Amino acid sequence: MKFGKRLKQQIQETFPGWRDKFVSYKDLKKLVRLISAAPPMMNGSLEFGRAEAEFVYSLNNEIEKLNAFFMEQEEDFVIRHKEVKQRIERVAHIWGPNGSNPSEMIHKEEMERIKKDIVDFHGEMVLLMNYSNVNYTGLAKILKKYDKRTGGLLRSPFIQKVLQQPFFTTDLISKLVKECETTIDTVFPAAAEENEGGGGGGEGIQREGDTIKVSGEGIFRNAVAALLTMQELRRGSSTYSHFSLPPLNLSDSDLIQSVQLNSPIPIP
Amino acid sequence: MRTDLQMIRAHMGYVFGASLVAWRQYEEHRTMCFFANFVGNRTCKSAHGSSCIVARVLLIVLTIIFACNPSAAHETQPISIRGTRKQGFVIKSSDLVVLESRLGEKQLTETGVYVCLSASLPVYATPLVETYTERELIMHSISSRPTPLASDGGAAGHMSSSASGYPTEANFSSASAQARRPHNYPFISQSSSVQTMQPVNHPMENIDVFWRTEPLQAFLDFPENISVENGQVESSVGVMASDEHVKRTDWQEWADQLITPDDPLESSWSDVLVDGDVPDHKPMVMEPSIGSSARQTHVHHPMPSGETCLDTTPLPTAPQHKARMRWTPEHHEAFVEAVNKLGGSERATPKCVLKLMNVEGLTIYHVKSHLQKYRTARYKPESSEGRPEKKLAPLEEITSLDLKNRSIGITEALKLQMEVQKQLHEQLEIQRNLQLRIEEQGRYLQMMFEQQKKMDDERLKASSSNPDESPAPLPTKVVQPSLPADDLTASEQDNVKTGSGGTSATTALEEIPQHPDARGSSPQPTKRARVD
Repeated sequence: MKFGKRLKQQIQETFPGWRDKFVSYKDLKKLVRLISAAPPMMNGSLEFGRAEAEFVYSLNNEIEKLNAFFMEQEEDFVIRHKEVKQRIERVAHIWGPNGSNPSEMIHKEEMERIKKDIVDFHGEMVLLMNYSNVNYTGLAKILKKYDKRTGGLLRSPFIQKVLQQPFFTTDLISKLVKECETTIDTVFPAAAEENEGGGGGGEGIQREGDTIKVSGEGIFRNAVAALLTMQELRRGSSTYSHFSLPPLNLSDSDLIQSVQLNSPIPIP
Repeated sequence: MRTDLQMIRAHMGYVFGASLVAWRQYEEHRTMCFFANFVGNRTCKSAHGSSCIVARVLLIVLTIIFACNPSAAHETQPISIRGTRKQGFVIKSSDLVVLESRLGEKQLTETGVYVCLSASLPVYATPLVETYTERELIMHSISSRPTPLASDGGAAGHMSSSASGYPTEANFSSASAQARRPHNYPFISQSSSVQTMQPVNHPMENIDVFWRTEPLQAFLDFPENISVENGQVESSVGVMASDEHVKRTDWQEWADQLITPDDPLESSWSDVLVDGDVPDHKPMVMEPSIGSSARQTHVHHPMPSGETCLDTTPLPTAPQHKARMRWTPEHHEAFVEAVNKLGGSERATPKCVLKLMNVEGLTIYHVKSHLQKYRTARYKPESSEGRPEKKLAPLEEITSLDLKNRSIGITEALKLQMEVQKQLHEQLEIQRNLQLRIEEQGRYLQMMFEQQKKMDDERLKASSSNPDESPAPLPTKVVQPSLPADDLTASEQDNVKTGSGGTSATTALEEIPQHPDARGSSPQPTKRARVD
């Protein structure tokens, strides 16, 4: 149930629009339980076959759901990726020093906005990758459970199929993320401008001594949550095998160690 | 029943024959119209009944095909079906031209019919031939000015009732893609995006999966329940469409085939279709799992030339969606180019964009939805619709200047955010690679296992005849896989900084030889305490 709980937590913390797009781990688990409860086929009972068929059908439906959502988001990102680049060009073109209507103030203002948007954009893409991974993990676990409970051999071929699915082939998104990072590097000047005590940081980010508190429900928070969840998930399990992932050891110097999540703002 | 069939065939044969002649003079649409009129009148005067309607409707389509009016193809006028439905068919010479011109923009009408045709070259003959169903053709005909023919009133009524018969007969789950309207005009999602620009077209590829099979199936179902192999139809349809050169010969064959009686309709269709030349390039992969096991297809972009293929993921899900398209930056570039050529996102229409893009497998649905997203993204640069809600923390919280709780500036906050995001990205990449490799290893192990088992079996057989021989030692065979496994885990260790994890994995692998009789041939992980 550990994964189930973690998944639920993650779903709760994710964007509202995404909440119902995750794999229905709990329901699938119930199905597996039903199958194992049903008398085996040898006894000539139909229940087993039916339950099994339902399981496979549900799996396929889940995959379909994941694919659809993923590709939809991917399409959005492709569009926005281009738009961001164009926007930067446009701003430089109009308000930049060599532009048609040079205005340092507006230029700066626009660039600030772009900076914020681009970082958020980067975050969203990464979160989509996380979505992909979490769901894959869920499916892999369910299949493992199924094989264990029923002694079937569904896991291996099915997971091969899953590996090919669009929602798991995140190469494009990864590429976009990297390109985004390059763009960000060019947009953010090398010199760090400290802007003490003014203006709004994207979300409620406050420094308390050595810890950084993150509140709000935005992208940053989600990213942090995702990392932490990942770490948790990969801590040793009782069913550790060569199919399990090794534990996630983030080095002590990593930023994440000092980040503390406030409880999410409850949704009325 | 039989006579009906023969009659239909006769009609079709007639129509085909005539159309072949007409086709050669397709540039003079006046002749077309004349011919159409003539044939129309002729068929009209023949026996009433559904066969008459079919023939009449066929001819309309053919005329549409052959009418050559490229300029009109750009007109995008919605085809309103509702109002004119009752008035039956339209076969008027001038109307045919208008009809053809009207078939620009696809329009989702209340009846749910969705037609997109732009006729200009004879290459359209092939895909449009596939539109031989009463339902679709009615939609075509209804679009232009309703000029009811005298005998049509009853015929239309009759037709609608007979049309209703088809959906029930068509026992494919693609039928679920059709919305059953009260008046039984099923939803047909189709888009034969044919381009006027390029001579070499592959219109079939652009046609939606369900559209492709559905009309053919429905037609073949009439009047008997002829079950055609999905696969055959599918592959042949694909084959047919992709080569322009065979169009002419196809027509000949069709005419021949259909005029010859006594062949079951099924085989004549199949033969005709299969006889099309096999295309050199990869046609749309249309596996025979459409229909009862209709599945979601999505378009993946393998080739740089802009061609796309339908990947058929064999999922037996209900086909509520059209084929899903996987947009790549290249696709999007082509899209933006097309939109810009057409004067911007506001002025561009899906149909024209589709034509300009000239991407195989792209349907007007895809373009439409993409255009919508594009427009939204442009006019809301700050927050496009797809973005999830973000709650911006109230300013008070952030600007509070506490000695202890120092609010951090924008840039710093952004940098922080980037840091975390980058790290998450990195870890996700690593995790994904690990997962891939784990599965790879698992497969490899399984293979070794099976090989070993095979060898064991063989040795057992040998040993039964030769009792002195002993089975090959197990560990040596199975230890081998642990070597590549070692390499893998070793490299992963560097990435993941998990010393314990790596060694655990290896020890787990090495334990396999001790459990050769694990369930089946799959190395099932047994529950064991964490090796540490």
